[in-house]
Amino acid sequence: MRGYVLKRLAQAVGVLWAAYTVSFLVLDYLPGDPVTAMAGAGMDSGQVDPRQIAALRHEYGFDKPVLAQYAEYLGRAVRGDFGNAVTTGRPVSSTLADALPQTLQLTATALLFAVVLGGGLAVAATYTRRRRLRQLLLSLPPLGVSVPTFWVGLLLVEAFSFRLRWFPAFGNDGPRGLVLPALTLAVPTGAQLAQVLAKSLLTALDQAYVETARAKGAGRWRVHLRHALRNASLPALTVVGLLVGQLIAGSVVVETVFSRDGLGRVTAAAVTAQDIPVVQGVVAFGALVFVTTNLVVDLIYPLLDPRIVVASGRRAGVA
Amino acid sequence: MSRSFVEDPAEAAPGLARPVGASPDPAPDPAPGRRVDVRRTLRFLVLRPGLLLSVVVLVLVAAASFRPGLFTSRDPLKGVPTQNFRGPSGAHWFGTDELGRDVFARVVHGAQLSLKATLIAVLVAFVVGGLLGVVAGFVGRWVDDVLMRFVDVLLSIPALFLSLALVTALGYGTVKVAVAVGIASVASFARVARAEVLRVRQAVFVEAARSCGSRWYSVLGRHVLPNAAGPVIVLATLDLGASILAVSALSFLGYGAPPPAPEWGTLISEGRNYLANAWWLTALPGLAIAATVLATNRVARALDGEWSRQR
Amino acid sequence: MRALPDFRTPRWAKLTALLTTGVLLTACGSGTDGSGTGDGRPHSGGSLTFAVGSDAGCVDPQQVGSNDTIYSVRQIVDSLTDQDPSTGKIVPWLAKSWDISADTTAFTFHLRPGVTFSDGSPLTAQVVKDNFDAVPKLGLLGTLAEGYLSGVESTTVIDPLTVKVTFQQPNAQFLQATSTHSLGIESSASVKKSPQQKCSDGVIGSGPFVLKQYVQNQSITLTRRSGYAWGSSRWSKQGEAYLDQVVFKVVPEAGVRAGSLRSGQVDAIGSVGRADEAALKGGQVALQRRANPGIVFGLGFNNARPILKDARVRRAILSAVDRKQIADTVFPTGTRAATSVLAHTTPDYTDLAPDLAFDAAKAKSLLEGAGWRVGGDGIRVKDGQKLSLTIDWVPNAATNQPALELIQQQLRSVGVQVTLKQLQLPQLSPIQQSGDYDAIWGNITRADPDILRSSFSTKLANFYRVPAGGLDTTLSAQAATSDPAERSRLVAQAQQSIVRDAYNVPVVELQTQLGVSTKVHGLAFDASSRIQLHDTWIG
Repeated sequence: MRGYVLKRLAQAVGVLWAAYTVSFLVLDYLPGDPVTAMAGAGMDSGQVDPRQIAALRHEYGFDKPVLAQYAEYLGRAVRGDFGNAVTTGRPVSSTLADALPQTLQLTATALLFAVVLGGGLAVAATYTRRRRLRQLLLSLPPLGVSVPTFWVGLLLVEAFSFRLRWFPAFGNDGPRGLVLPALTLAVPTGAQLAQVLAKSLLTALDQAYVETARAKGAGRWRVHLRHALRNASLPALTVVGLLVGQLIAGSVVVETVFSRDGLGRVTAAAVTAQDIPVVQGVVAFGALVFVTTNLVVDLIYPLLDPRIVVASGRRAGVA
Repeated sequence: MSRSFVEDPAEAAPGLARPVGASPDPAPDPAPGRRVDVRRTLRFLVLRPGLLLSVVVLVLVAAASFRPGLFTSRDPLKGVPTQNFRGPSGAHWFGTDELGRDVFARVVHGAQLSLKATLIAVLVAFVVGGLLGVVAGFVGRWVDDVLMRFVDVLLSIPALFLSLALVTALGYGTVKVAVAVGIASVASFARVARAEVLRVRQAVFVEAARSCGSRWYSVLGRHVLPNAAGPVIVLATLDLGASILAVSALSFLGYGAPPPAPEWGTLISEGRNYLANAWWLTALPGLAIAATVLATNRVARALDGEWSRQR
Repeated sequence: MRALPDFRTPRWAKLTALLTTGVLLTACGSGTDGSGTGDGRPHSGGSLTFAVGSDAGCVDPQQVGSNDTIYSVRQIVDSLTDQDPSTGKIVPWLAKSWDISADTTAFTFHLRPGVTFSDGSPLTAQVVKDNFDAVPKLGLLGTLAEGYLSGVESTTVIDPLTVKVTFQQPNAQFLQATSTHSLGIESSASVKKSPQQKCSDGVIGSGPFVLKQYVQNQSITLTRRSGYAWGSSRWSKQGEAYLDQVVFKVVPEAGVRAGSLRSGQVDAIGSVGRADEAALKGGQVALQRRANPGIVFGLGFNNARPILKDARVRRAILSAVDRKQIADTVFPTGTRAATSVLAHTTPDYTDLAPDLAFDAAKAKSLLEGAGWRVGGDGIRVKDGQKLSLTIDWVPNAATNQPALELIQQQLRSVGVQVTLKQLQLPQLSPIQQSGDYDAIWGNITRADPDILRSSFSTKLANFYRVPAGGLDTTLSAQAATSDPAERSRLVAQAQQSIVRDAYNVPVVELQTQLGVSTKVHGLAFDASSRIQLHDTWIG
């Protein structure tokens, strides 16, 4: 078991390093010159001193050869230092750290909504015996993955904020302000979750152990929840890593729609201003979240599913 | 989509196809030479009104992107400024915008830009991802390891973040956004292509061809590629819907074509400024996107089901 | 007040008459009294929530250049002087009086005693000197403030409450510059910080409000400064401000701002476009408008581009723009089509409306005369080259894009192809410097005609690549003269020269329009059409 954990950890670190390298390569070919852009932040006329530009270029390390730049950046990135944002001059790490709590709040709430709504939908659709209702419920997830999130957000604002005045249309104020954005973000995620869960629930209901439970006289509801759902949620757990990454990335659009402060809006602003250090920090953070979630899922997976045997770092395939 | 991105190398050895979402049926039974039966297809469609509707929507959208004149005679770029902000009516189905332009005409003409971007995105993903997967699967050994590790890394960065990093590097515009979206979905294509190549390589007739002394490129071209292409093409149709959404999200964020180009995402983001007085500027173009994606996904699912059933 | 520069000349009377929008503002501001709760008498307390469209990413008044952020940071600092928005007159604030040398090279300010910063330190001549010495070193981020002090020779402390600023050459604009937020006075402790620190942490000022919290891209929170007793001489309330707290929230979409004001989520919003006027009407909302002084919104040509070197092409574009259609379709009600390169609220503005009339036939014949013939696709061609130009713009107001799309259509109908290229705010200046552009859409707010010299003199930055000539002489002369009548004549001459040679295509005047809940009273514009909140109260 310990060998398995260590090996997973090493792989996770390797992927992180490579993800950082990819982002460095992509962003290093940037055509624009961030330093001149920074020099022009003052807008209303005035000469820019070439010496100041040179000084800035030196400060950000843009005057060094690529490999030296890479080594220096990687060395700092390992310590969590992604340099300073070009547009604001603040450290990237603290820029992201300041924005993070808002986004975590949003994504956690959205994940909760997604699990409750998506899970509830899947359970209801597989439980009901009415064909029409089942068809209706099963047609919702494909709809959920097909609507653009920004459009859903705008419709919710129009309906629940401007017309009904139930929830604020923008901002980060309290739990009420969280409802509409989290709901928006939860739509595609919940729909995907519902699809995966409904499919594996149907499979599980056909399994022998379910038949056994039924034969033993367990009630239908009990069989559905205790036996089938428990086993069916394992495959759903495996997509959680993907979904969490997707939620964090989805915050870019949702936070823009709802004018919420957070990582997503920091990202959108950084892309717009070609603020490379910030974009790089965001990409690295996204990879970190993905890798960590998967590591956690992988480590708790054997604990949940007794059929999986962990031996010498190999895991039986369950998909 | 597969979750296992840091699989044990031992597991990735040739012969063990990775679990792949788009091709759940691992039966190694390539079915060459399928004839399209028109009557059967029609019956198939009539029995599924939702699918039929989806096909109709797709045909309409495709027609709009090649011959927008069939749907509207109005100029999408020029309106009557004094007739701005008119609600949906018989004269203007989708109303008019801030400069008095007909929104329906803009959505119809926008189909061209948005579909072009989507096709480029899928094509980039298909070609680059397919190539990576085929090379990895066919060559095997360390090449496979290196390429697949690279694909794992691509998968570890959330797709939208990867696209945004590429947009930061490449700049704005329809084509650049399309390329950014395409590259972000290279990884899943590479995996499916590799898995298929590995599956087909093991098949008896490929073994037979090789033992008969066929050259590797002839084996690849005549036997492996045609038989491995199916699931990758299904994935491409599935990816169409996702790409429409991704492209419109990026153009919603403002990274698409410059005005007055009526890209779908741009239409909605421009309409957002008039949310308080003209709901139709955001609601109706959004409906067009949703309908197109829904139709694409429905057709893709039908193709996927058909394909696995026919095998 | 010893030697107030004589700005009370007849030309100011003329200006007052033209200030119709200013009067409108007063009507809006006070006409709503009584509709709110309470007895309609001003009282202290309460919190005001103000939604703006953008965040400059910086809360140092000396470095911020965009209106949405100036609204808040302006309240943190006081300036040496203030400018009366209705007369343009410079009046005392932190300086109770001043003397100006006859050749306008030396300015001596006599400071008001008893002023303290919010950290308790007193305002002295040394603090003012520290500020003016530090401003030129603000570096790349503080070009606006630096520009006001360009050519400064020295700032000297004469006694603890007297400070003298000396310039190398005559500098008539400097007195007005001391009234701007850019030269707002910060405490010695703040001046010593690095520009970037000041941006992110904010500054200590002596103003009626104190910065409580700044969350980038989200909000700026101000609280009332207790013990404030040195307000501008033109404010109506003595002592502290009425409001306990002001919260500025960043809401980029115009439609969301309007919807939030209407549904009572905020008390006031900035940049209200024409589209939102109808949605806001009828509710508990009043619209406040004021035309911004300075250079109007228009196309700043790169006059060195081969196509645009030809004055006939520039004049043709000038005539092909239907300013009235643009003003009436896109901009807030009451927005004026440009009648000069300067807005009518700028001192020494001259009405050149006949030169800026829409005349498509004239545009076509000018282009024909210049050898540009209509090609197959309707775009004019000469020597195999298309008559095509790119307009660069930044999305800092919801009105920019529709206005430019209309210009695009209008120029298309005389055979000129226009490509719109969206830039981000920080990209604009480098592009201007590099000269790698055809035309840039923009305006510059400043309540002094010297802005013409900053923009069009070939001796300064000359972003627009204007050819050297008589215009330079005129612009330099207006800066150097201390005779108001002579300055007025020279500024008029400069406007005529710029418009007739079409170095720039003036399109519409910027009119700032705010949406304000009727329970908010006394929210007033300053001379640069930004807001002043000391006299604001909630009823």
